[in-house]
Amino acid sequence: MKAKKVVSMLCVGAMAATMLAGCGGGGSDKSSSSEAASSGPYDEQAIENAGDITITMMVSGVATENDFETEVLPELVKEKWPNVTLEVTKLPDDNYYTTLKSRLSSGECPDIILTQPMYAGANACYTLADAGYLAPLNDLKWAEKMSDLSAVTYDDNIVTCTAGVSILGVYYNKDMFAECGITEEPKTWDEFLDDCATLKDNGYQPIVMGDKDMYVMQFGLYQIACNEVYAENPDYDDQLRTGDTHFTDEGTWDKVLEMYDELYENGYIDASQSLGIGASQAIQSFIDGNAAMTIDGSFNAPALMAEGAAGAFERGYFPIPAESGDTYTATCLSAGYSIYSGSKYIDECKELLDYWFDGESDIWQAYLATGKIIATYGEGSDQTANYELFAPFVDLMNEGKAFHWCNQAWPSGTETTMEEKFGELIGGQGTTVQDITQEMQTRFEDLM
Amino acid sequence: MAFRRKKDDREVETYMKLTPKSFLLYLVIIVFCIIIISPLVIVFSSSLRTPENQVSPLNLFIEFSLASYQKAFTNMNYPMEFLNSFITTAGSVLVIVIIATMAAYPIGRIKSKLARFMYFFFISGLIIPSQMVIVPIAQTLSRLGIPNTRFTPMLMFITCSLPFSVFLYSGFMKSVPVEIEESAYMDGASLFKRFTTIVFPLLKPATVSTIITQGLWIWNDYFYPMVFITRKEQYSLPVGMLQFLGDKENPAQWNILFAACVLCALPLIIIFMALQKQFINGIAAGAVKG
Amino acid sequence: MEKKRKKKKGNISLVFTNRMYVFLIPALLFFLILWIYPLLQLFYYSITDFNGINYDFDYVGFENFSRIFENGSMVNAIKNTLIYAVVVVVLSNLIGLGIAIALNTRIHFKGIFRTCAYFPALFSAIVVGFIWSYVYMPTNGMIAGLLDMFGMDGSKFNPLGSFTVALFAIAIVEVWKGFGTTMIIYLAGLQTVDESLLEAGRIDGCNEWQLTRFVKLPLISSTITINVILNVIAGLKAFDYSFIMTNGGPGSSTRTLMFQIYQMAFTDQQMGRASAFSVVSFFVIIVITVFMLFFMNKREVEL
Repeated sequence: MKAKKVVSMLCVGAMAATMLAGCGGGGSDKSSSSEAASSGPYDEQAIENAGDITITMMVSGVATENDFETEVLPELVKEKWPNVTLEVTKLPDDNYYTTLKSRLSSGECPDIILTQPMYAGANACYTLADAGYLAPLNDLKWAEKMSDLSAVTYDDNIVTCTAGVSILGVYYNKDMFAECGITEEPKTWDEFLDDCATLKDNGYQPIVMGDKDMYVMQFGLYQIACNEVYAENPDYDDQLRTGDTHFTDEGTWDKVLEMYDELYENGYIDASQSLGIGASQAIQSFIDGNAAMTIDGSFNAPALMAEGAAGAFERGYFPIPAESGDTYTATCLSAGYSIYSGSKYIDECKELLDYWFDGESDIWQAYLATGKIIATYGEGSDQTANYELFAPFVDLMNEGKAFHWCNQAWPSGTETTMEEKFGELIGGQGTTVQDITQEMQTRFEDLM
Repeated sequence: MAFRRKKDDREVETYMKLTPKSFLLYLVIIVFCIIIISPLVIVFSSSLRTPENQVSPLNLFIEFSLASYQKAFTNMNYPMEFLNSFITTAGSVLVIVIIATMAAYPIGRIKSKLARFMYFFFISGLIIPSQMVIVPIAQTLSRLGIPNTRFTPMLMFITCSLPFSVFLYSGFMKSVPVEIEESAYMDGASLFKRFTTIVFPLLKPATVSTIITQGLWIWNDYFYPMVFITRKEQYSLPVGMLQFLGDKENPAQWNILFAACVLCALPLIIIFMALQKQFINGIAAGAVKG
Repeated sequence: MEKKRKKKKGNISLVFTNRMYVFLIPALLFFLILWIYPLLQLFYYSITDFNGINYDFDYVGFENFSRIFENGSMVNAIKNTLIYAVVVVVLSNLIGLGIAIALNTRIHFKGIFRTCAYFPALFSAIVVGFIWSYVYMPTNGMIAGLLDMFGMDGSKFNPLGSFTVALFAIAIVEVWKGFGTTMIIYLAGLQTVDESLLEAGRIDGCNEWQLTRFVKLPLISSTITINVILNVIAGLKAFDYSFIMTNGGPGSSTRTLMFQIYQMAFTDQQMGRASAFSVVSFFVIIVITVFMLFFMNKREVEL
């Protein structure tokens, strides 16, 4: 009887605890840190005075040989400050999101985390800053070097430290183009289609995409959207939030999706293949010389410039041209590093980031050498690996002909609906372009 | 079961004669086994190549080199990850065996509605997948002030293993004769003594079965360590494998990836080969008795 | 009088007193704190717009529930999970039982065959996912390569890229990994069948098929039940291969319940929505399992 009582009390206790926790909403662990650290310069000798400390950092991506974040960076930090051990964890994107979320909810977040501008992804800096998880970085000296930080500024606080831009474009095999008699990069959408047709007639697969990793669909779609939607209405995304524009508006996203679908319909991208291969296999296929082009970002340049079975053929990079020929580029601030507001070492981390992003330190040099970012300031920024590839894009950007990536302005999840539905369209599931824009609109409103 | 095994041994001499019918049986089984095993053979063969060798993996055993293994070994930091996996698995299984036998003792012995209820209460956990509750679990842990260490996934392994282990032990409890305990009771043995000296030792088959089934699962699981382990030095082998996720569709990385796959499974393969009989019996006993 | 009262309580044993319930405490603590309590929290979150990060959330009533049904994600996930589970249950049991019956004869190399069949069960799901990604890959993959070798066009082979085939393809991976365990359980069950009954059957002129169908199967009916139930549970939990091999795609054709929940909670940041999804899944899974248990128990009697 006694035991029974104990058990039943335990049950009741557990339920009561649920209720209580519910009312509290777990709000207690969301500290007031955002107000605490915002004013005044940070302690620039924080690390020197700290004694032996371990700073933890978590980033997403796939570790490569001699990886910058997991291998080079900790070594360089150790060289500079022997008392600091930097522990870096690198996880594939999906696991990164999972892990980040559970860490945040358990209050065990690493000191430095990788975040993305605006609303992009589950590690979007706006979302995280809104929940009070990111320490303001307004007092970093790095911030003075940057011209436009609006995409990483939330409520007047800069929350992500990032140095470069990322570009979307089309990598192409110059040798293959030349072989087919194509001498110039296409300047209009029609020229682009013609080039694809020429390549196809010559027996080459014009474009290879790894659509099994559905996020790669964004690479092409966002470029077309820059040309056809934002060029005409730069405030399109803001107006989506206010309800003045809709994905379903004629001549906007329906046009973007139709244009991109043209590539599939004409077999320039082979949907029956692409849906079964992943992003890295597509890259491999391009460098092996199995396809003339692939649409990808500047962040994948190292992999795309590597030598595959086709040897060291010459490669070029161009933005998907606009119908009108007035081409814009999809270029945005790269993902950067934020400091967790609950970290014990906020000032130490700031000192570390400022050293890293000072435009000249060893860490900065090594960071640039990865070729994954295109720096906009600092020593050697024009010596960024493969800079010649990116120069035309940077020029466009300087002319003001650049727009952010769409998903950065959308609530995270809108793009997955777009990918999923577009995948159905090219997979011949009877989905129409109108279905897609409708679904995107519904999802967008739902997520808002 | 024990005496049946003896009978099998006696029959070892009388194999089937080779008739057309039995030949067909052999053929079917052999073909089937080849189909089942072939992916593993290919994986093994290309893991034995140098990382640069990109000839189609279908060309079996064309090269013998440990270069890919070396690379995978260092990439994974194998000794460390192995040790972590070992600590996690051994620690969890130890606790599971102790608390699951304890829990099964009253459930299997007392004939009351409450005991019956507790039995179903635990078993119901079998059908709820753990992915479903991961976020509330993380919050509960933090509210309890439990930091993310290598012990956090162990807590979860123990919890998630309880339904099956309790189910198993309660089933086996029936095979421990009540009479022995009753006579021990007459001799004045305390409850605790009865449990440790009579019941627990007699549950040995169930314990073997628990260790094998749950150990196998815990060693191979990546979900909890992936979510709860912050530091690289605490990675277990399957979590280490996640780092290769981007390589699975990249033919240029296959040799190293496959070597890593083999390394990840190697400890279990060795244990399985060494203890095959216990393994097979443990798995079978778990299901049939329970 | 005394006796009557005790009877009401249900436990009259002097040896096995209620004091034994003390032994339950450690397990119960683990289970309540780390399993039941979080599970209850799911119910609570399901009526909020909690995003998993920001604790400033609002109550939205049953909106989450109506949304998941309206946008079809629930129906799609249930459908995919059921198909997956059915494929896993049917194939694992047919193959497992078939091989077990074959191996239960007086056959040479029984041990080797058994090892072969069980071997895949030793590998972690993540390793299995890697291996089968290779097997299924178009052009360079194992099956595509073999097709090429036999003069067929391997480049058209693309199961994970096909909306209709992908789900079956990953279910087969689950079968590959799991049928060995099923087989071993069947083998153990078959070994408990008394040889004399079979002998009697033979004398009565039964052929092997009749012996199997009318003698062996009824005698191992409880083994069949346990195997079917275990496979149903594994099938309903489907997550690993959608996560590792297809990421739910193409489109949403391999999104299972667990994968959909995972994606809602972690990619779309809709913890509230994901909780509602979990709550519905919870009931779906319970209903299916209970139904299966009843059904199987009935079958057992009939056999």
